[in-house]
Amino acid sequence: MNYFFELLTKGVGFSRVGRIVCSKETKKFISTPNIIVPMKKSLMNNLSFLEEFEDHEIFLILKDFYLKIGFLRDKFNKTGFIYTHNGSMEFFKEKLASNIDIFKEDNIIPSIPFNTPTTAINKEFAEEEINNYINESHQILQKYSNLDFGLSIKIYDYYELFDLYIPLIKKNENVRILNLVDIFDRFSDFRKILRIIFKIKEELDNNLVLMVSGRIIPKYYPILIYLGIDLIDCSYLLYLSSENFYDTIEYLLPIYKIKYLPCSCTVCKRNLKYNLTDKYSSEKIELLTLHNIISAYTYMQKIKLYMRMEDFRGFIEKSSFDDMNIISTLKILDSHYFDVLRLETPITQSNKSIKCFGPSSYHRPDFQEFRERLVKNFTPETWTKLIILIPCSAKKPYSESSSHRKFQKIIRKFPDFPDFQEIILTSPLGAIPRQLENIYPVNSYDISVTGEWDREEIEIASKMLISLLKKYDERIPVLCHLKDSGYFKIVEEARQILKNKFFFTDIERNLTTKESLMSLERNIESLKDSLGGEKHIPENKNFLKTLTRKFIKIIDYQFGPEMGNKIYHNGIKTWKNKKNDQIEILDLKNREKLGNYNSKTGQIELSLNGAKRLLPLREKKNLIVFDGQKIKGNTLFRPGIINFSQDFAPKDLALIFDKQEEELIGVGSLIVGSNYIKNSKTGKILNVYEKI
Amino acid sequence: MSMKKFNANSQLVEKIKEFRSNLITRKFKFIEMQLDKPVSSWIKEDRLLKNKGKEFTIILRTKGCSWALGDYGGCSMCGYIQDSTIEKIDQIHIINQIDYAFRENMNEITSDEADFILKIFNSGSFFDNDEISEEVREYLYKKIANIPKIKEVVLESRVEYITNHKLKKMKDILKNKHVEVAIGLETTNDHIRNKFINKGLSFKDFLDAVQLCKENNVGIRVYLLFKPPFLNEQTAIEDCVNSIHTLAKLKIDTISINPLNIQKNSLVEYLYYQNRYRPPWFYSLFKCILIACKDNNILDSIRIIASPSGAGTKKGIHNCLKRECNEFMSKTLEEFVLTQNINCLIKKNSDFSCDCLLKYQLQKNYV
Repeated sequence: MNYFFELLTKGVGFSRVGRIVCSKETKKFISTPNIIVPMKKSLMNNLSFLEEFEDHEIFLILKDFYLKIGFLRDKFNKTGFIYTHNGSMEFFKEKLASNIDIFKEDNIIPSIPFNTPTTAINKEFAEEEINNYINESHQILQKYSNLDFGLSIKIYDYYELFDLYIPLIKKNENVRILNLVDIFDRFSDFRKILRIIFKIKEELDNNLVLMVSGRIIPKYYPILIYLGIDLIDCSYLLYLSSENFYDTIEYLLPIYKIKYLPCSCTVCKRNLKYNLTDKYSSEKIELLTLHNIISAYTYMQKIKLYMRMEDFRGFIEKSSFDDMNIISTLKILDSHYFDVLRLETPITQSNKSIKCFGPSSYHRPDFQEFRERLVKNFTPETWTKLIILIPCSAKKPYSESSSHRKFQKIIRKFPDFPDFQEIILTSPLGAIPRQLENIYPVNSYDISVTGEWDREEIEIASKMLISLLKKYDERIPVLCHLKDSGYFKIVEEARQILKNKFFFTDIERNLTTKESLMSLERNIESLKDSLGGEKHIPENKNFLKTLTRKFIKIIDYQFGPEMGNKIYHNGIKTWKNKKNDQIEILDLKNREKLGNYNSKTGQIELSLNGAKRLLPLREKKNLIVFDGQKIKGNTLFRPGIINFSQDFAPKDLALIFDKQEEELIGVGSLIVGSNYIKNSKTGKILNVYEKI
Repeated sequence: MSMKKFNANSQLVEKIKEFRSNLITRKFKFIEMQLDKPVSSWIKEDRLLKNKGKEFTIILRTKGCSWALGDYGGCSMCGYIQDSTIEKIDQIHIINQIDYAFRENMNEITSDEADFILKIFNSGSFFDNDEISEEVREYLYKKIANIPKIKEVVLESRVEYITNHKLKKMKDILKNKHVEVAIGLETTNDHIRNKFINKGLSFKDFLDAVQLCKENNVGIRVYLLFKPPFLNEQTAIEDCVNSIHTLAKLKIDTISINPLNIQKNSLVEYLYYQNRYRPPWFYSLFKCILIACKDNNILDSIRIIASPSGAGTKKGIHNCLKRECNEFMSKTLEEFVLTQNINCLIKKNSDFSCDCLLKYQLQKNYV
């Protein structure tokens, strides 16, 4: 049978929700990520196993007994199977040949096993054996070129040997699943593991399904999925069960020391509790196995749910606190691999609360991307004459918080308030110009605030503040309406570098007391005209309107510096659609629709007319070239794309051009990033929301 | 011997030699008295060609296996060199060892009703002149020829020392005995034999030796190594089944399955202490024999035996470490060997069942 992987949603890091399509006609799909449950006699004997896993989507078959057509079709007709063998390659070949019709017709994917040798004594030994395996696998893949396969990959702790497999995988397109057998056996080698994962993503088709087997425990599932693993074989739990380990996800506990069972699965509720003290009992081990698999299965279901409904990165961080290697892996990913991960991580998420747990969150890829884009794309308004630094608020967007309302009330007392640039200082996002407060992640992050800032938080915020203020005339005064020492440290660092004059309001108790606000007002009054000289007040007063200011900066953030002015050169008129919480943006003069502001993501979806105003494109940014003149349907697939910008992240907006790159024929939102487009031959690439 | 005949794994050779060198360069020497006694000798029940009988085994102390002492370092699981002198030994000592063993056991042999099979092992090659000279071999043949109770004789050698001349000479003297030359083939798979076991023997050379034995009307006994290093339980079962089937087609007289046991200063010992090798489970061995011999008549034409060293211990073939479990398994195996009845291995739950069967099923794919 022929299979292919279809990516449905791209998540943070390499995580992705997808499905293995077994048959389009019969709509047989295996959703990913998923765990692969081994079909073992000891499990099959237990009625509870059949009850629990009747609807599970993918099983591992190790015995050819289970290949019997009747059995598979009757009992698990909606299920996918992976068949492999735990013995010799010769035996696997025999079984493949003698069951070829089953493999051709049923939803069973054969996976070429790599069992011998079980270990290697040194690198050369491993290399020789891997080369033997590669030769044998190549013969199988060529012989059955119409059949799709899984390929086992073993590296025997010599991570550099992974390279040996690359030509084999490239040469044989019928390799659909890469089964990483021993790569994760030693998680302490996280740097080397990451090198392999990034190599896979950079050099091989991104539609290859990544599977892991070997010594994997459920605790690792979140980070594995973050690294792009689609299928996780949970067979190792069987081994752990036989060693009397009870899995609680966070810990592996020896069962004979457990006084009560912290789980309410069918096994723990019924029989297992009666067998706890029995040291040598097959029945206990059988039940324990079942519990461990159910718990892994439940955890995976939970993960799948969180991927859809919650901030998955936050969940990974949370689950990493149990394991130093996972914490280190995340650190290394954020610090060394950001250049790749920024193109893999969606730039927005909607309806999710983004929780920051501490240092592990400071450099998550979406935060880093936000900070870098902001600094790179933000351009000051030419008429700014005063910069006001204020602290963040717990409520988002900031302007809806009671403190910011009070600040705004004071600021707006001045008719020339659009000439003031408010910058909000916050951790861990840094320094946010007021106009961008609605953009993801500013609109949805949350962090514990105690008034105490750590060194890294201060550094992040001061660095960003300095970068932003450097864009302004150094004569513009900076007024700080701040209280806690952390904020002062940020300002202090900025003061040492910048030439601008810094002023501080007098704070009485807190920032929102009458006295403090009066001090703010007094300071604004005294500083606002201190700049003197010529003013660059725009002729079109529409530019001073709050929404116009906001939307111009959002466009800059999305498409590059000055792009906002290019699109909204006539000024804009807005119309709020209360039904879908969107704001329609029209040209002030000719009422041409230029786009929609989406309040959930804080981004603007440009209309075709709006997008046309970006032309000619600088540096070929946000560009997709379609292999044709006219787009049919609402989705662009990989084969239809002949050229594309190299810096797309998922959820970025794209301008779609015709084959000759002459005419703009549509606008859409990316499902995947540039690296995926580069390293795939099939799959959905973007959703077209407007076309000619 | 020509080094081109087999494809050794140079990495493995280096590693094996590293461990072996601990032993070979030892300072300790055997005293004169030890040289005049065999390493060991015993009498116990065994399977003869057609019926139960007894074995009389003598383990001679010689210079040691040329393969283990040579440039290739020997086999990855073998530590028998420990029993050898390593330095050349005067042949009179060998004669003394033979005489000693016969002297010690002769009474029992003559008084016992059972027929005997004599097994001469020298932890090397019986036909290697450096270990046992032609004169000593002749001395031994003549000694055996005079004992009518000894119906069968087993001598062990690497194939490169088996020559037409030596076989003829032996058969001339032992014409009334069923003589088997035992060859440690270990597996019919060249890759496993030479890359993992480092046997330095090609299957083709083995076939040539078989041909030579057949021409001289000498029987062949093949040793198969059960669960060589770098194989998991399932692969070990398949490899052994495959070997048994191939050897059955060659009409080999006896197959002796040797489950691997951990021997000192071997590569396997190193792997074992790093938890990268576990001696086989009894369950696997039984499964292997069952698959190989059930539903066919292999046992009608071939004798399959196994007398595992260190059975039931951590370093030998074992299941769990419960004594009753391993004892039951050893007894069952012994019963099969003596009766050659495959039904002995089809374990009945009423006889015995151990919880470790499930553990075996769940763990066998890992170490």
